Amino acid sequence: MAQLLEQFINGLVLGGIYALIAVGYTMVYGIIQLINFAHGEIFMFGAYLALMLITVFNIPFWIALPASMLLCAMLGMLIDLVAYRPLRDAPRLSALITAIGISLVLQNLARMIWSARPQQFPTETLPGFFVSEVNIQTGEILNAIPLPGGGILPYRDVFILLLAIVLMIALNRLIHLTKIGKAMRACAQNRVASNLMGIRTNQVIAITFAIGSALGAVAGIMVGLSENITPTMGYYKGVAAFAAAVLGGIGNITGAMLGGIIIGLAEVLGAGYISGGYRLAIAYIIMIAVIVIRPSGLLGKSTATRA
Amino acid sequence: MKDKLTLKNIIFGLLICFLPLLMFGIDDFVAFLSQYGIYLGWPGGEYMLRIIVRAGVYMMLAVGLNIVCGFTGLLDLGYVCFYLIGGYTAGILMARLGVSYWFALPIAVLHGTLWGLLRGAPTLRLTGDYFAIVTFGFAELFFRIVRNEQWLVGAPNGQLRGIPSPTLFGITFNQNWHNYYHILILLILVVFITYRLQHSRVGRAWVAIREDEQAAESMGINVSRYKSLAFAVSAAIGGLSGAFIAQFQVNISAPFFEFWESILILCMVVLGGMGSIRGAMIGAAILGSLGEILRPGLIIPYQFGNPRYLIFGIILILLMRFRPGGLSLKKA
Repeated sequence: MAQLLEQFINGLVLGGIYALIAVGYTMVYGIIQLINFAHGEIFMFGAYLALMLITVFNIPFWIALPASMLLCAMLGMLIDLVAYRPLRDAPRLSALITAIGISLVLQNLARMIWSARPQQFPTETLPGFFVSEVNIQTGEILNAIPLPGGGILPYRDVFILLLAIVLMIALNRLIHLTKIGKAMRACAQNRVASNLMGIRTNQVIAITFAIGSALGAVAGIMVGLSENITPTMGYYKGVAAFAAAVLGGIGNITGAMLGGIIIGLAEVLGAGYISGGYRLAIAYIIMIAVIVIRPSGLLGKSTATRA
Repeated sequence: MKDKLTLKNIIFGLLICFLPLLMFGIDDFVAFLSQYGIYLGWPGGEYMLRIIVRAGVYMMLAVGLNIVCGFTGLLDLGYVCFYLIGGYTAGILMARLGVSYWFALPIAVLHGTLWGLLRGAPTLRLTGDYFAIVTFGFAELFFRIVRNEQWLVGAPNGQLRGIPSPTLFGITFNQNWHNYYHILILLILVVFITYRLQHSRVGRAWVAIREDEQAAESMGINVSRYKSLAFAVSAAIGGLSGAFIAQFQVNISAPFFEFWESILILCMVVLGGMGSIRGAMIGAAILGSLGEILRPGLIIPYQFGNPRYLIFGIILILLMRFRPGGLSLKKA
């Protein structure tokens, strides 16, 4: 029972991370109907850039986090400008293949710059309360909340979950209350009409990429806090997050959040109770089942076919 | 694909037929020169033949993928799963059950076809991105199955060792030149079938589906049937390539069939120009051998990583931006 509770919390934390990545996929898909395969790679770059800022430039964690967000936002906008904007009126297959190409380039670039060796944030550079441990002799718990049944909930996980929730609420407010949010919703409904109404659609799309990429960077750093940072993490986590976006109904931001939590829970509980080797396969199976049975996802609008 | 008997075509045909002899001739020539202290930086003929055989396998895969991607216009990101199914079906049958290659080959092809149809059935109404994602998920599932299911493969990480070479009339086909003619025959067969399909009612129906599915349906084309046929033929070619590579490689393991292999094949099809058999083959010949040629030049100086895929990524981006029709001169 205690194990179940711990697994459940782990699933929630992972789900929060997935939700942050999934939002990036779903926002871009909502506006330009493109699966931005490179988004997973931006997420990976977020982790590596923060790591580089901390270890090479000796920048404290609390400055490296927003700096990495900013750099990734710029990277996202750059990709949109260089690769996707020229193809906006081209067949969708071209844009999709371009996205795969960018994903390949970024992943191998990361491998060349930072090597394929798994890396972690050095413990001494992180804020003190991130490092939780249990003293076995005295039973004293440091920087963690004890759970009933003997498990612990590290402050780090609490921080990740809280930050994810805060960012989600902020994004929700941004979409619904600000002028740029309104422009985004207009573009998602009909890009040509919004352009005719005087909305600078290219600018709105660039901002969408920037926001999605910044959130992806945060997710990357969160993953880096608890797992290894590797050049392939963008690909594995990216696909699971994409599954979350599909599950929630692609193009639907609330759906992406919900899907992220469900996929995160399914992955952790499935790995714990079914088979560890099929950890990622669970996300794929859910994704295929959703696409085949209900392509519009849990919260999406129902359409006969998805073109 | 010109059936004209021009001098160029005859020379080209003779070159293809007697390529192993040429390779051995060059080997002898190099050995002859080395007696006089002249050393050419020419890799051994056996090594060249191996690269050529592998490029031949990629050609076959590219032609197969081209049926789904080029003719029917659906982006298949998981083509490698049929390659994997063919490889492991033939490999397990031959290495673990002792079945002869000549039985394992058709079974691998049929098994690939079966999964092509099974995968195709639920995805018939999907187009574009969603089809791509389902194919990707499928390939990943199969990759994980061979990696995790030890009872099936017999060793962790999908390692299957000691796949025997095919034998016929007491001759064991384990030399590189045997494999060269082997792949040549299979390739000619595949290209012939694909070419005949492309220029038949079926091929025209596929192209009609690619151009406009609804219009094709209203013209009386049974879209589901023709799409299923495309999936089946494409998967059969994948299975055939897998069965060949299993006996050619002798040992296969799961990383051999990773997702990036699908992308590599897709890259070949895109480079040559989607929808053209010749384009797919040229693309496969370039990229399939490029990796090997670049290996000494590029990979050893960079101790870290494999910049091969970086180049493939750049090729994809530049092609889509400036030349969506690929290298073949046809406008997309």
